[in-house]
Amino acid sequence: MTGFSPTILAFCCNWCSYAGADLAGVSRLQMPPNVHVVRVMCSASVKPEYVLKAISQGVDGVLVLGCHIGDCHYMTGNHRTAKRMPIVQKVLEEVGIDERRLRLDWVSASEGEKFQKVVVDFVDEITKLGPNPMREVKF
Amino acid sequence: MKLAFEEQGADYLLIMREEHGNVAPAMIANGESADGVRLDIPYQLVTILENIYPWLSKGKIAIITRRCDEKALAELVKRKYVDDKRIVKIGLACSEEQIRKCRCNDPVPSTVAVGEPHAGVKDDELALALSKKSSEDRLNFWVDQYKKCNKCFGCTLNCPVCFCDDDCVLEDRTFVAEPSVPPGLSFHMIRSFHMADKCIECGECERACPAEIPILTMRKLLAKDMKAVFGFTPGDEKTVSPLNTTLEGEQLEDECDES
Amino acid sequence: MPRIGVFICHCGNNIASTVGIEKLVEFTKALPGVVVVEHNLYSCSEEGLSSIRKSAEENKLDRIVVAACTPRTHAPLFRKICEMAGINKYLFEFVSIREHCSWIHIKDANAATEKAKKLVAMGVAKAALLEPQKEMESNVIPTAVVVGGGLTGLTAAASLVAQGIDTHLIEREGTLGGILKDIDVIGPEFKKTRELLDQLIKELKDSSKAHIHLDSRVISSSGFIGNFELTVECKGESVKIPAGAIILATGARELVPTGEYGCGSVPGVMTQLEFEKRLAKGEVPERAVFIQCVGSRQSGREYCSRVCCNTSLKNALRIVNAAPNASVSIIHRDIMSYGTVPEHIYREASEKGVRFLRYGLERPSKITRKRNGLVVQVFDETIDQEIDIDADVVVLATPMVSREDARDIGKLFKVPTDKYGFFLEAHVKLRPVEFSTDGVFICGSARFPSSVSECISQGLAAAAKASIPIRRGKVVVEAITSWADPDRCAACGSCVTSCPYEAIEIVDEEGRRYAKVNETLCKGCGTCVAACPNDAMQQRGFTTRQLGAMIDALVKNALGET
Repeated sequence: MTGFSPTILAFCCNWCSYAGADLAGVSRLQMPPNVHVVRVMCSASVKPEYVLKAISQGVDGVLVLGCHIGDCHYMTGNHRTAKRMPIVQKVLEEVGIDERRLRLDWVSASEGEKFQKVVVDFVDEITKLGPNPMREVKF
Repeated sequence: MKLAFEEQGADYLLIMREEHGNVAPAMIANGESADGVRLDIPYQLVTILENIYPWLSKGKIAIITRRCDEKALAELVKRKYVDDKRIVKIGLACSEEQIRKCRCNDPVPSTVAVGEPHAGVKDDELALALSKKSSEDRLNFWVDQYKKCNKCFGCTLNCPVCFCDDDCVLEDRTFVAEPSVPPGLSFHMIRSFHMADKCIECGECERACPAEIPILTMRKLLAKDMKAVFGFTPGDEKTVSPLNTTLEGEQLEDECDES
Repeated sequence: MPRIGVFICHCGNNIASTVGIEKLVEFTKALPGVVVVEHNLYSCSEEGLSSIRKSAEENKLDRIVVAACTPRTHAPLFRKICEMAGINKYLFEFVSIREHCSWIHIKDANAATEKAKKLVAMGVAKAALLEPQKEMESNVIPTAVVVGGGLTGLTAAASLVAQGIDTHLIEREGTLGGILKDIDVIGPEFKKTRELLDQLIKELKDSSKAHIHLDSRVISSSGFIGNFELTVECKGESVKIPAGAIILATGARELVPTGEYGCGSVPGVMTQLEFEKRLAKGEVPERAVFIQCVGSRQSGREYCSRVCCNTSLKNALRIVNAAPNASVSIIHRDIMSYGTVPEHIYREASEKGVRFLRYGLERPSKITRKRNGLVVQVFDETIDQEIDIDADVVVLATPMVSREDARDIGKLFKVPTDKYGFFLEAHVKLRPVEFSTDGVFICGSARFPSSVSECISQGLAAAAKASIPIRRGKVVVEAITSWADPDRCAACGSCVTSCPYEAIEIVDEEGRRYAKVNETLCKGCGTCVAACPNDAMQQRGFTTRQLGAMIDALVKNALGET
């Protein structure tokens, strides 16, 4: 779809993925300007309600980025993230919204390049998926 | 028959009773007449139990429990909302017609005191049909359905495992942006997520909905997903919701790639 | 109504060259709650900071938003300015328009500016809903633990006990000294290693404050700064050690090549450490060749191990000092003899007849056996010719690599490692011997291959840093803990299950049951908030209203009014 530039919301955890995003910045790794980062302390604090609210209001894609399993600053915080997000994806899928609009991934503080890759890949995927169908739906 | 259950030492019996031509939940005290008792009208008595329990500080309560009621009770017991030592379950096996209406795949309570047990139904037809449709068609279907919603909260009020009562997040603007009716998709999606690890598929929500939204179908779709991803089905006192526990010993079917 | 001041930083050219500052200022002025918008060349400079303070006072601001680099570096600085202006430091929000915007969208100034607008709108929306917070204080256990009894760990421990701090030194082996046990003499002064180590060990043994645990391993570590609890196992018995600060000095190891250059199969070919042992025994070869960069500065291990060149120079000099007629060659890809004295050593070695030949990564040398020794075939890049060098001993200068269990150690203490397994400090320049995890410190080769003097400096630095919380006796717990509204809470227990620290319990107060968070155990992760179905659980500084407002701000500015 030409001319479509997705609006993407990303939740990054302070200790790993936000630091990874910082490192990507420091390393001047270039990426498309569609991702807007919200800093949280742990990916496990990302309420499914936030994701569902954002998608319902027309955000094209949501990224939840946390520490690798085993490396969470809060020990097993990200275990919960790993278990909750797939069900959020199922909720989206069952109602007819492509579950790929929510992506969960793990980026450590030293993975500036991975952050870049995730952003580039995700923007690409969402661009191909097209605008969030909820943009056209008015309740 | 019902009086026989009072032999179990119950002080009260929660049951459906007909009065003046209307069937409604009733609490019959030991010694009171049991005229008009109706076992054929389905209703989620556990919801009633949950609501009046704080005011019943003493006494044993007998309750007619279908299989779904049993499971609902288990969800309440594990959260310590109800002391199971004070509850007497009187197992009721649902009729074939009822099983079909609920598309129930698990209709027989652990002990059957009343009724003839029948086999469950394997699939919810609507759920099956939806699974075969494209995302676009599914979304169109659900948006059409959900646009009928007028926030009567009949679904949440009648639900036995919906325990937030007056503090339901769906009431305010924090997660549901629409200020009036119908509420947006987030209302229904959030409810679906909250119910994913609690819903025991009693169907009371669907029966209560004045707009005839097939709420139970969506619940069943997610129940299937919970089973597929975690092997988890609500309604067992001994299990904990997988959404709040660690990965210990659990294999997610779509675990994030560690590379 | 909040009175928000937004301060946009140019960061010299770093932000201003991509993000249109004027457009951003105009946009920001119209945001709800914003009373004043200013921009500074460098917000973190003395000038920038005082202008923020002045503006806050003049405009009677009650919330401050700074749009600049990243909160992970300068947030404490700006928070202090808030306090000086009479604003609670938690009424401050940082928006990254550098790392997360100008630096990553260099070629698209328009898009970067539009994105910056949205990011600032999100920050302002959150700031409007921030609440003042009071920080809690927690007592610090006046004990330090140093993990690793090599030179670095010994230095750190000795420094701590000299300050009068109770210190436990945990060493895995049966003796102290680490990798230096295998090295007889250290450069550049050719000092006996034993003297250095013995001096430190004596300082420890003479102090009543030092507790040395040999043959011991840390098997678990929990807690937080000021209140750690470590479990140390020694020969089957475990002991719990409470501590206020932990220093990791676990060191590194020499890479032993698997078969390259015939190491392990061809007699006479050996690693530097093996060669050190021979020299210590007085076995001085008549003909020696050192090959540098064996296994480093190449694909898969791109780093320079920093110590190998100086070590080879040291050992080359030892040979020619002992046997002036010996033939010594150093085959290298660059000689890294950084600093004044090492450069002198390089010159001295050259003057004493040590030959230096440059080779390229694409043409590694070949070693073959002859009847009276070895022959090293090297392609000398300087003269573009292949040369054969006879040798009795070929020393492979391999890099220091991380310990095999480095990642496990990292997991134990919940600290990160880089892709090579070396520990990652909190900030290379601002916090070089600390981890992001407060109260845990890093020094020595566990962080990156370090020379003896560097290890000593780092050990002293880590000890100095670790002593701070212990001296203060108290740590301030950041006010980002969670709490459950007793009126909303349905006591369902979801939060209790999800808390990684078991910091929440359901309490019964006169019949009202609700979840109560233990503030000293709460680490502020927010896992409980996501578990709570009815919004009863909130995290200070990250409430659902605040984050919800950020989402609304993004939707409004990206998609128009919803």
